[in-house]
Amino acid sequence: MFDHGQPSYAEVNKDILSVMLETGPRYWMLLGTTMSVAVIFFFMPWFYQLIVGVGAAGMSRNAYWGTYLSNFIFWIGLSHSGTLLSAILHITNSPWRKSVYRSAEAMTLFSLMTAALFVMVHLGRVWFVHWSFPIPNQMGLWPNFRSPLMFDVMAITTYLTASSIFIYMGSVPDFAAVRDASTGTRRRLYTIFSFGWRGTAREWHTLGWAYTFFAVFVIPLAVSVHSIVSWDFALSIVPGLHHTIFAPYFVCGAIYSGTAGIVTVMYCLRKFLNFERYIGQVHLDNLGKLLLALSLIWSYINMLELFSSWYGGSSFELEALKFKLTGFYAPLYWEMILFCAFVPLLMFFRKFRWSWNKMLLISILINIGMLTERFIIVATSQPRKFLPNAFGFYFPSWIEISITIGSFAIFATMFLIFIKWVPAISIYEVKETLKPLRRDA
Amino acid sequence: MAIMGTFAFEEDFLAAAEKLQSSGFDNISLLSPVPLAEAQKVLGLGKSAVRRFSLAGAIIGALAGFALAAGTALVFVLPTSGRAIITIPPFLIITYEMTILFGVLFTLLGFHVVSDLPAWRDRPYLPAANIDRFVVVVEGAAGEQAARAEAIIRQAGAEEIHHVEEDQ
Amino acid sequence: MKWGNDLSTFVEKFRQYLKPGYYDEFDYHWTMTIDLDRCTGCEACVVACQAENNLPIVGEKRYAQNREIKWIRIERYWEGEYPDVKMGFIPMLCQHCDAAPCEIACPVFATYHNQDGLNTQIYNRCIGTRTCAVYCPYEVRYFNWFTYTWDEPLEQQLNPDVTVREKGVMEKCTFCIQRIRLAKDNAKDDDRRRVRDGEVVPACVQSCPTEAMAFGDSNDPEAKVSKMMKNPRGYTVLEELNTTPSIVYLKKAHAES
Repeated sequence: MFDHGQPSYAEVNKDILSVMLETGPRYWMLLGTTMSVAVIFFFMPWFYQLIVGVGAAGMSRNAYWGTYLSNFIFWIGLSHSGTLLSAILHITNSPWRKSVYRSAEAMTLFSLMTAALFVMVHLGRVWFVHWSFPIPNQMGLWPNFRSPLMFDVMAITTYLTASSIFIYMGSVPDFAAVRDASTGTRRRLYTIFSFGWRGTAREWHTLGWAYTFFAVFVIPLAVSVHSIVSWDFALSIVPGLHHTIFAPYFVCGAIYSGTAGIVTVMYCLRKFLNFERYIGQVHLDNLGKLLLALSLIWSYINMLELFSSWYGGSSFELEALKFKLTGFYAPLYWEMILFCAFVPLLMFFRKFRWSWNKMLLISILINIGMLTERFIIVATSQPRKFLPNAFGFYFPSWIEISITIGSFAIFATMFLIFIKWVPAISIYEVKETLKPLRRDA
Repeated sequence: MAIMGTFAFEEDFLAAAEKLQSSGFDNISLLSPVPLAEAQKVLGLGKSAVRRFSLAGAIIGALAGFALAAGTALVFVLPTSGRAIITIPPFLIITYEMTILFGVLFTLLGFHVVSDLPAWRDRPYLPAANIDRFVVVVEGAAGEQAARAEAIIRQAGAEEIHHVEEDQ
Repeated sequence: MKWGNDLSTFVEKFRQYLKPGYYDEFDYHWTMTIDLDRCTGCEACVVACQAENNLPIVGEKRYAQNREIKWIRIERYWEGEYPDVKMGFIPMLCQHCDAAPCEIACPVFATYHNQDGLNTQIYNRCIGTRTCAVYCPYEVRYFNWFTYTWDEPLEQQLNPDVTVREKGVMEKCTFCIQRIRLAKDNAKDDDRRRVRDGEVVPACVQSCPTEAMAFGDSNDPEAKVSKMMKNPRGYTVLEELNTTPSIVYLKKAHAES
């Protein structure tokens, strides 16, 4: 588990808390950069779009859904590994989870928030977005619970709530550790955050039970969230979207890109926060095997999707299929196949699974592939619907591209803020994996 | 008056806890930096009442979810796409999500109720208990009882013993 | 017994709410027939619609971006190779499907099916998710990508009976619901219970020089549309999608060669 010798309990506290309590100029520079990128690339174009109208983006009658929606799916997908993986590994009692899961769950939370932002950016009249929530109003008008978009609203708010509670409850003992290690305002703040946690046997016992229940609730929830997102597409009758395979396809793709995202985040934590001692070869190796398995499933489902379109033989489906495989976006499609189906096969070799740099590259390529996968779903099916007269072409405008870039900066900003507010690695659970403090030890 | 004894080793700590428990001290807290199944066993903590909250939450959520979807559809009847007003399959999805939402929220509530957190008053605590020390706290003992507790803790090999005045 | 009556009403209502389709019968079933044999593709209907329903003129650039707003459009299809080439027209407007794919999609009920069998669009309620437009197989829903303005003195010709839509709102053919409303009000004022056949004429139907289009209540067997619908040339577009459209096209007749 530990590559560089086993740390003592006190060292664990010191190592992990020092990341929070000691901040150098490099951090502030990085935070400043990501924040400015977020403002310049995301919020300023968005503001412009709010004033002008959604027409500022490249969407038209050919594709009413554009990059905003494909990015929404991408970010939702990225959110799918953290909490889900953490919950599954928690109830299956896998010790290698313990130093990875906190950041993975944070990734879930922040990518989910970024995804929610994309819904806002997508909407024509975002200032009325509260109409899609079940809020009592004087007109007695409620949202349409028969709509797949309403499923989405319910699923995503539930997921956001559940995963925030999940990460928060897992951090309570660590908030207590921060409280004990700090002074002044921060101490008062963390006294509140930690609920006055003392670590009594009763508290641990209750937390353990509650946490297991959270995990049990979160697993089916995460699966349902992405299948519901897929139904936004699959419940339409648009050729290329109207596939029964979409729910498992999206769920699998989500976990796939999420796991790749975890590898990327782990690399950064290890490299920049000096967590080499806690994030080791075993984590990388296990994540690599998981990624490999997911990539095989993903490739299989992808093949099935093409097969069922072709085998169905409907002329509309065939047209959409032809556009996807040989149309303008064909290079993007084949790039996706290369990055998500073939490149990950390298992980069959231990040489790749054990090398941080190679795994970083593979994980980034996978996520580029997944980003394009979502784009292709949106951009190749809508312009080829039913009436040839309405066949068209969709290309994102500079605003959409800029907002896409900005969203990564938003995610990075939130993550940078997170590592200063919450211990990025679970202190108490790392301690659990250490040898217990025994006289004979 | 509370007596706190700190231990460097798990087995000493557990021995002290067991001894105190068997000597009839019923208000003891066992502070540890990591969850210890043995410590929970000493206190006789079995199944937690949290699970009742989870179950209740899930059931209430399921009912509330279906009621929300079906009820609001009836408040303002707006037919769409030739579907029924109360359309069972999509409403089951809403039910599913609400089951989980309420289940999670009630579990959270259950955690707070059962663990007695957030704590509204200061309780005997040593920061070392969250780093690498195991702490036994005996509360509500006075006079001879307190002396007996202290003796047991000392005998088990405590590093330090603290006396804390509890604010009532 | 009062309570017993209430209960049976409740049970009856509940059964009705569980029934797919919900409506047994529409009060009026507004239907349009379009005879493609008579259509010359002159686009008079397109212009009439533009004037009647305050459709914005989006300009050349936005037209090229495929962002025009035309509630009714003439689709042109070419058959054969030059020089032996034939052109066909089909006016395409909202089909007011009884099982509309678009209605189910809206999270805020901005589009729903009313008791006249109309697929309505409520602009004030729309939040612009554009899902309805993606779901629509006929692609007859149009989005206000921008807030459009009318240069002086063009704003004088705006129809006071129709809302001017702002940016971020979906819109589409309403079967000139303002005229239907007016006809219903007149019928009420005249102490008639029903609107007479031919009393409601949407702008496109009114302007058609060849009288290719007919509009009326297909619940009324005597109405012109009901008779037209019985024509063996009648078909609905994309019938295989089971959207049950309210527009019946009459196929163009070809001489058998």
